[in-house]
Amino acid sequence: MSKACGKLDELGAAEIRSDRMYPARLNKIINLFETLPEDERRETLVSYAENAKKQEPRTGETFDLVDVRKDEECMDTVGVYLHVDENGKAHIRMTLGPEVQTLTRSMSAILCKGLEGCTPREILDLPSDFVTRIVGAELVRIRSQTIYYVLTRIKSICKVFLDRQRMAEVA
Amino acid sequence: MQYAHPEALVETDWLEKHLKDDDIRIVESNEDVLLYDTGHIPGAVHIDWRADLQDNVIRDYIKPEKFAELCSCNGITPETTCIFYGDKANWWACYALWAFRLFGHEKVKILNGGRDKWKAEQRPMTRDVSKYPRTSYPVPKKRFDKEIRAFADEALAQSKSKKPLIDVRSPGEYKGEITHMPEYPQEGVLRGGHIPGAQSVPWKTATKDDGTFKPAPDLAKIYLDQCGVKPGTETIVYCRIGERSSHTWFVLTYLLGLNNVRNYDGSWTEWGNKVGAPIEKGA
Repeated sequence: MSKACGKLDELGAAEIRSDRMYPARLNKIINLFETLPEDERRETLVSYAENAKKQEPRTGETFDLVDVRKDEECMDTVGVYLHVDENGKAHIRMTLGPEVQTLTRSMSAILCKGLEGCTPREILDLPSDFVTRIVGAELVRIRSQTIYYVLTRIKSICKVFLDRQRMAEVA
Repeated sequence: MQYAHPEALVETDWLEKHLKDDDIRIVESNEDVLLYDTGHIPGAVHIDWRADLQDNVIRDYIKPEKFAELCSCNGITPETTCIFYGDKANWWACYALWAFRLFGHEKVKILNGGRDKWKAEQRPMTRDVSKYPRTSYPVPKKRFDKEIRAFADEALAQSKSKKPLIDVRSPGEYKGEITHMPEYPQEGVLRGGHIPGAQSVPWKTATKDDGTFKPAPDLAKIYLDQCGVKPGTETIVYCRIGERSSHTWFVLTYLLGLNNVRNYDGSWTEWGNKVGAPIEKGA
């Protein structure tokens, strides 16, 4: 058993959840969702989905990397835009095609907000287990796995950024 | 030529004028789990294909007692006409309608064109969650599995006896080029292909671009002339989990009036994972 595992619960299973793994902004969102009853959780997810447009690139913004594509995992095109500022902090914007499902929209808005100001390395190292804590067991099903897709896309653009940075340093 | 049961469809225009009718219940059923919450037809209730209609432990439908409870808490009686609509050109609406028929609820209709058409026509939407006085829906005495549902052994018998089997999945799934539905790689199976003897007629063949059903002569040409389906002949339709095939089941049963059509809802997620199940590949 990994040493990283914490105390055992009453059934003997290891307690591996640790809030310290998550960036502060994201942690705040996770904590909020965990306190909500199911109907309010749904309402809040819908509210995030409706605000997903606010995470689109704004006039005058420039980006270090842009990755716009339609993958098979998602119903429509998803664009991820990454800017890393002089302090090494990442700022992510996203565009979502009209067919993208509501839960995926919610997760995009949550991640753009929750990961604001993290470093690309912190984003890359982020575990994905928080997703179910936000979405809740009732809405997670095989057919709604695209909630993980958005995180994968954000991680993927961060990885490309870090790879290029490393290559530039070597050169 | 008209639809065999034109009364099984309602148009958006009609529904907007009858939103407050006491004897109807509008039921939204979607793939997008939060779509109803973002806004729905005024008065519509939400029935979730997974959480409400399926048993959450074993792969089967709910028990008759639960169906009675589901109807009762949504203010539905056996006399209520349930009008189903939803996303994805009514896949899940047809699935929910088929499940209601499984429990013997007879008064069922589909909103032609579904949610997308209603929205495109800028008809009213609301976020108010509809509540109706509780009814006491009687517990159905049986589930009509034998009449409208097929199981793997029956699909195998159908294949062996060369009776009509219709595979409504995408051509790539039918040929065995992919082991999942396009856009859903997470829903794969171990083997690709189709049940031997099945004909490929993707569900979408029955609809126009706006998600409404094609006229009866077109449907007759596709299914009766080209596919060789005949009234009175046992026909089985299947897809991956039974939702797309519910759409075709509705077309064959209500729009073409065939009375011996069953939906194999175990579909390819069962067949493509089943040890020893015969499989054909290619076109």
